Amino acid sequence: MASRYDRAITVFSPDGHLFQVEYAQEAVKKGSTAVGIRGANIVVLGVEKKSVAKLQDERTVRKICALDDHVCMAFAGLTADARVVINRARVECQSHKLTVEDPVTVEYITRFIATLKQKYTQSNGRRPFGISALIVGFDDDGIPRLYQTDPSGTYHAWKANAIGRSAKTVREFLEKNYTEDAIANDNEAIKLAIRALLEVVQSGGKNIELAIIRRNQPLKMFSAKEIELQVTEIEKEKEEAEKKKSKKIA
Amino acid sequence: MAATFFGEVVKAPCRAGTEDEEEEEEERRETPEDREVRRQLAGKREVRLLRRQTKTSLEVSLLEKYPCSKFIIAIGNNAVAFLSSFVMNSGVWEEVGCAKLWNEWCRTTDTTHLSPTEAFCVFYHLKSNPSVFLCQCSCYVAEDQQYQWLEKVFGSCPRKNMQVTILTCRHVTDYKTSESTSSLHSPFLKALKTQNFKEPPCCSLLEQPNIVHDLPAAVMSYCQVWKIPAVLYLCYTDVMKLDLITVEAFKPLLSSRSLKGLVKNIPQSTEILKKLMTTNEIQSNIYT
Repeated sequence: MASRYDRAITVFSPDGHLFQVEYAQEAVKKGSTAVGIRGANIVVLGVEKKSVAKLQDERTVRKICALDDHVCMAFAGLTADARVVINRARVECQSHKLTVEDPVTVEYITRFIATLKQKYTQSNGRRPFGISALIVGFDDDGIPRLYQTDPSGTYHAWKANAIGRSAKTVREFLEKNYTEDAIANDNEAIKLAIRALLEVVQSGGKNIELAIIRRNQPLKMFSAKEIELQVTEIEKEKEEAEKKKSKKIA
Repeated sequence: MAATFFGEVVKAPCRAGTEDEEEEEEERRETPEDREVRRQLAGKREVRLLRRQTKTSLEVSLLEKYPCSKFIIAIGNNAVAFLSSFVMNSGVWEEVGCAKLWNEWCRTTDTTHLSPTEAFCVFYHLKSNPSVFLCQCSCYVAEDQQYQWLEKVFGSCPRKNMQVTILTCRHVTDYKTSESTSSLHSPFLKALKTQNFKEPPCCSLLEQPNIVHDLPAAVMSYCQVWKIPAVLYLCYTDVMKLDLITVEAFKPLLSSRSLKGLVKNIPQSTEILKKLMTTNEIQSNIYT
């Protein structure tokens, strides 16, 4: 357990830990799950919808946000911190477009967000951002990208990843089920994202939100009906797979 | 009398006695308004013990009216959550009465109409064995109210053949130790017992110079004076609000003699506890 002095500001502990950054990573685990998948021709972001209070307007509680026409991100952790980071990223995307007359690459905007986060782990009197982000999009060269950032300011490219509450379980599921076949087809990639979320989400498709970006196409948010359709298909496939299994055993 | 740097004359403290004792006596005499204010304040801060159904005050103390062999008191929200999930769900408990009080720490200003949810010092007994008592106390009992609380609950001449168990929490920054604080793994349990408590406690004893505060201290002092066997289990934690890990730190008590026989289905209780935590979390918009 950390000494009391290491909790107030981001300084090194005697054994080399930055406890504030590590605690910020714990804050991320308090947010609901988000999963990102990079397909061959599609990128998918799926999130577990947060339970909304009765009188609250659902539209204002969003985990998936567009940063530009070709880049979007999902986050997990402190809502207010996410809002600040997203605003800064959006401004940077437009500033970049106006300055160099090219839209940002996914890597550029990820690096910008990660650098911003890192600055807050090294400033006096500030605390780190308590969010992890999954940033997806297509670059001009048509290659799909998925990056993940965390409160320490590190970023890495991933084929598929999850952040938030049950990220470990979802990541293990993805490690088992992410195959070249699974992502060859756009529809299969979408199903993989939904299946990964169904492992940890309570009460099924009602609590899932999904967004996709296809090459040269803008961000598309799935409606509740479309998600329900996918969930029904997945359940059918599951049943058929189980029937085959029981036939084999018999 | 002495003159200050700024030329005003102030009374200097004098061990020989003051010259103007008569003047002082006049100031000390209470005006009728002072008396009225003091009376009203005392009335506001009165601890009232009410019967469950009739909501009338009890004439005698609670334990004089309902004799008890085992009394378990939970003070603070984490201790209350532990007893709610593990003990109250394992049997049928009947509410016997509640203690209503007001002090500066209470969030409500209307003292005459405290709702049951705000009173939060409720007494239960086990239907199958009415001599087993439980108290869930979520409100803060101020120093001047602790004596009243003790009188109204225990009475002025308590029975000695009962055993008292108290559960409460304290912030780990209050824990004094010569060891390095980085080696402390909070939350952790410490025990304090009265002279007449002969059983071994479920955890290590609280070392000096640490002390116990507030209502738990008042109850323990009372039990020590009246030679009642009592044990206090104090959980030092770094999260004072309702927290799963802090509540689970009380789990070693499930094997103690005080709680054995009162706890039946531990896995189910763990589920109930998790639900209790999540209902608290959903209302928060801090995390998405």
